[in-house]
Amino acid sequence: MNFDPPLEKISVNIREAVLGQGEKAVKIGGENTLPFHSFEGSLPNSAGLALEVLDMQPDNWAPSVLEPFEDVVSDPVKWAKKCAEVYGAEMLCLRLLSTDPMGKDGSPEEAAEITKKVTDAVDVPFIVWGTDMEEKDAQVLIQVARVCSGKNLLLGPVVKGNYEEIAKAALEHGHAIVAQASMDANLTKELNIALCKFFPPEKIVVDPTASALGYGLEYTFSIIEEIKQFGLVDKDKMMQMPILCDFGGDCWRTKEAKESREQGILWEATTGITFLLAGANLLIFRHPEALKLIKEMVI
Amino acid sequence: MILIGEDLNVMTGKISRVIKEREAGPIQECVAGQTKNGMDYLDVNVGPVKKDPEGTMEWLINMVQDVTDLPLSLDTTNPVAMEAGLKVCKKKALINSASGTTESRETMLPLAAKYSTDVVLSVINDAGLPADADERAASIMDSAAFANELGIPNENIWVDPVLLPIGVDQRQVTSYLEFIQMLQDLLPGARSTCGLSNLSYGAPRELKSLLNRTFLVMIAKYGQHSAIVSGFDQELIRLIRGEMPEIVELIYRAMDEADMDLSALSQKELEYVKTTQVLMGKSLYSHSWLEV
Repeated sequence: MNFDPPLEKISVNIREAVLGQGEKAVKIGGENTLPFHSFEGSLPNSAGLALEVLDMQPDNWAPSVLEPFEDVVSDPVKWAKKCAEVYGAEMLCLRLLSTDPMGKDGSPEEAAEITKKVTDAVDVPFIVWGTDMEEKDAQVLIQVARVCSGKNLLLGPVVKGNYEEIAKAALEHGHAIVAQASMDANLTKELNIALCKFFPPEKIVVDPTASALGYGLEYTFSIIEEIKQFGLVDKDKMMQMPILCDFGGDCWRTKEAKESREQGILWEATTGITFLLAGANLLIFRHPEALKLIKEMVI
Repeated sequence: MILIGEDLNVMTGKISRVIKEREAGPIQECVAGQTKNGMDYLDVNVGPVKKDPEGTMEWLINMVQDVTDLPLSLDTTNPVAMEAGLKVCKKKALINSASGTTESRETMLPLAAKYSTDVVLSVINDAGLPADADERAASIMDSAAFANELGIPNENIWVDPVLLPIGVDQRQVTSYLEFIQMLQDLLPGARSTCGLSNLSYGAPRELKSLLNRTFLVMIAKYGQHSAIVSGFDQELIRLIRGEMPEIVELIYRAMDEADMDLSALSQKELEYVKTTQVLMGKSLYSHSWLEV
């Protein structure tokens, strides 16, 4: 007797987003099934795994997460090169810490120049991240979009209060964006609807604002699952964008991570694999060893 | 469908002030307006009435009854004010509301028995708001059994399944729909009601009544007995009173059909259909649900 396993076929896909350009461009999303359900559908692209680079030396990183970059922290170009060449990152996230209005408060022009230099020097796709300050991020990311025109960067975060201006600049200069709505599927959809009135949906990646293990990971897990299910099972077009998770900061703030290098790496890797199980398509790591662990597990 | 007008409400700043100053005019105007618009009951929401609950209630109820013959739904959390109001009601009143909490069982439900009134009984209990339809069922069975023992028959119980804002928890809206269909099997003879406007709390102002109206038509189909609604929403009243049968029919179709052909619909029809689909949980709610 033949046994036909009951399979759930899904007729729609998560949109495939292409990040960066040329040979090293990275594709994420594109699946028509739930995470790791390769027996039910197709998962054409493995998750994008990015490593973080800062545009200035951070003053609050735990020693064991700073250690891999100790020789390059003062120079973002060298830092980025080391991540790509030594640590094998296929994608980088340049965080423009220098623009933080509560910190150095550097100008958008300077930040855009640094971004240009770094992205010219290393040919992997880049996520370029502001400082989660709505107004300043708008100024900075618009300037970055202009100066790095045509590089197909992934600019973020774009939120309800600044999406129009940033998305317009991204559209004009050929970049993708990260649409961020904090831990809420309804608001995620809301922002996507607003964006899609003028911005191509295949250039949007959503960020539900991930909380690492110990900060409400269960909640993030549910939101990611929810977004994915609304997109695939309920075929909601506004919920079919790939999902990004950024959690290195949380992980390395824990007491456990600060106490021990090994614990920190495991904390970050555990958080990362959990989000992949929930359905995330793009992860930003802080420690190269955590990224390596995940790569070994899923790729 | 029994419509209970919600507009005499102390939460509205104006009503709060005129009650305090014992000013009859604006209150009677609000009462007369809702009566004229065809409400079946009027809700008199006075909140907790901390100052002179007895005097306030007596004055207010008498004055309301001067301008309307409608039965009243007395809406206060203060049992002293409730009893004072019940004493002067000319028609069989509705106590709004009791619940399954220990406090409510001890204070509100005995009043319903003592005065042989109707009583709104919500599914809330000491554990809070039940999470889904089955938990609602368990909670209301327990509370209703308690009420029956006090001598309150099912026919006097108006079950409130508790309607949460769709923007807060869409699944609670679908479990409401599930529960209301079960109710007659659970408690034969019991009636039902809900605070309809709560559904659209937090939604864009201009879209609130669209949500409320659509949902009311939907729950009417599922056997909802009554609802506390705005006594001044003319379209809602016309919908429920059978004056807009095409829209009602369209909402029913949108409830039943999986893939509806939307191409031939007018803008207004399209809005009702999209709203029905969101309320059925067929598509994820967002404040811009009409724009997709």
